[in-house]
Amino acid sequence: MELELLKIALAAYILAAGILGLHLVVLHPAPRVIGLSVLLTGFLAHGASIAARSAAGGYVAVTTEYEALSFFAWLTVGVYLAVELRYRLPAVGAVVAPLAFGVTLGAFVFYAGVRDLPPNLRSAWLPVHIALAFLGNAVLALACCVSLVYLVHERQLKEKRVGSVMRRMPSLEALDQLNYRALACGFPLLTLGIITGALWGKHSWGHFWSWEEREVFSLILWFLYAGLLQARLVAGWRGRRLATVTIIGFAVVFASFVFGHVLFPGKHGGSFD
Amino acid sequence: MGRDALIIVGVNHRTAPVAVRERLGFRPDELAPTLMRLTGVEGVREAVIVSTCNRVEVIASVDEALPQATEAIGGFLAADRNVAPADLAPHLFAHCGRDALRHLFRVTSSLDSMVVGEPQILGQVKEHYEEASQAGTSGAVLHKMFHRAFAVAKRVRTETGIAGKAVSVASVAVDMARTIFESLNDKTAMLIGAGEMSELAARHLRAQGISGIIVTTRTFEHAVEVAREFGGMPVPFDRLVEYLRLADVVIGSTSVNEYVVTPTLVQEVLRARRQRPMFFIDMGVPRNFDPAINALANVYLYDIDDLGVAVAGNVDDRERESVRAQAIVEEEVERTWRWFGALEVVPTIVAIREKVEAIRQRELEKALLSLKDQAPRHRALLDALTSSIVNKILHAPISSLKSPDAEARDLLASARRLFDLEPPADDDDEEPS
Repeated sequence: MELELLKIALAAYILAAGILGLHLVVLHPAPRVIGLSVLLTGFLAHGASIAARSAAGGYVAVTTEYEALSFFAWLTVGVYLAVELRYRLPAVGAVVAPLAFGVTLGAFVFYAGVRDLPPNLRSAWLPVHIALAFLGNAVLALACCVSLVYLVHERQLKEKRVGSVMRRMPSLEALDQLNYRALACGFPLLTLGIITGALWGKHSWGHFWSWEEREVFSLILWFLYAGLLQARLVAGWRGRRLATVTIIGFAVVFASFVFGHVLFPGKHGGSFD
Repeated sequence: MGRDALIIVGVNHRTAPVAVRERLGFRPDELAPTLMRLTGVEGVREAVIVSTCNRVEVIASVDEALPQATEAIGGFLAADRNVAPADLAPHLFAHCGRDALRHLFRVTSSLDSMVVGEPQILGQVKEHYEEASQAGTSGAVLHKMFHRAFAVAKRVRTETGIAGKAVSVASVAVDMARTIFESLNDKTAMLIGAGEMSELAARHLRAQGISGIIVTTRTFEHAVEVAREFGGMPVPFDRLVEYLRLADVVIGSTSVNEYVVTPTLVQEVLRARRQRPMFFIDMGVPRNFDPAINALANVYLYDIDDLGVAVAGNVDDRERESVRAQAIVEEEVERTWRWFGALEVVPTIVAIREKVEAIRQRELEKALLSLKDQAPRHRALLDALTSSIVNKILHAPISSLKSPDAEARDLLASARRLFDLEPPADDDDEEPS
């Protein structure tokens, strides 16, 4: 059941990516609505899949690497859909959908059946920590997608490649503002994620900080974003520069995923032994 | 003396980039003296220069016997504008005869415009034609051609929908602004120089809700006048730099010899406005803004050619109408070409003789009928008498027409008119009122 739903979600993500991509090149408005509906279907199926796994395992299914990746992809789509309601940015959807597809597909690689959690993981802090940290990451993933669209659009404007794609783009100002807002939301979430993580660490392992790769990366990221927000507020950083650093930031998030889960499977890699 | 040949030589937005066009353009006060010099060139009988931001074209009537007339005019342009002939040559186009006529009709009807159907070109062509008329360099041939062209433009306008959907460069500029700025409600525009096109752009920006418009022109009075029209703020030209930092959209259309806005200036301004993006629209020819500013972060510069490319994307709807307009132009070209072909000495003389002879025969018959005594002797006498009168009257006009001097060409058109020899199909609805 859980896997079937996830496959439906995967199919929906790749389909939505295609349709939203099509939306960029044709003038007809239909692909936007259809693409978003398909993406929403994928999101619901994906959510149902996570719920099914949680029900089967008796815990919030966000701990193993498979669960984490899947949850992260699901949240990113969710954050995008919420933003889309207000800002109408189908061009960003055309980046989010393939990203969600890729990450969810990556989750399959680590697929394993539900397992029993060690008792010390059954702390109330764990889901809170994970939810906050992943929500922060999802918001930053969205910022990355927005930045990518910004860079593409900016390049088109600079090189004067005027065409239907450019017409489909949100304005640079809207993209820049959304990027900034995503940073402004993502940063506190990231901070809370680190704090709750430390609290949970104290609760279950007896120490706040253990200098694990994931923790180090989070700290790097925290400083990076703190600096970026500071540069924006004080020095008026914006546009291309802001977008480029945002993308680098997300690359750090991604690296922390890969290192944290695959190369150095510590607590954050899902092995708690 | 040879027949007249109609030729058009020049550059336009299809053949030359703005960098070339801006070097060839004429200021209004330069036109008359240039036209005089141009008609001084051997074999060039009449000339009109049309110089707008999208084209510099010489429309001339030359002696058919003039060898390489296009090279002669091209060479004249290069020399007059101080451009190396080798730099100009690849961008020059030339049309002769019927093609020239078609080109003139297409230009005047706005079919050759960067924005097909835009309304300004007809007025611009009219102004340049008036200029040549006043300078005395437009004679019988070009008068006819231009008046026909204006009539064709009118027909195209009223009989097709080409102007109805005209998307102007100005409105495209505003659309571009919207891909940079989410909302124009909190943005300010600045007009540097106030040409027709930039005023149009300002009007579009107003319609899109831009919050403020700053106007600066070389003469402050003009700025005040234009600013009043848009509810904008006039600013003296020498204080442009201080006010530039307030502007999110900057439209340039002033006539300059050097760039008004340079990269150094923009960098300074950007610092003052905390890197908020700026959109520069250069409608000036020569260009007002240094193209290098496009390389700066958060600065977007579009010149008139770039906007033309954007416009090209919008033309689908008008393609159909354009086909109909094309048909009208072809029809008119045929008609006018017939007239032009008739503008020759021998056919004109023959036509005059035939016409007068027909009158003489008719009147002679009437006279003979009323004569009681129709002796062959009387008939011969009357015939000889009327022939003699007609020939004596026609002698002077016909020998004038046959004379090789330049005035004869003007006489030819006059003669056709005096003797009412216009081709019957030509309804002459275009004559100036």
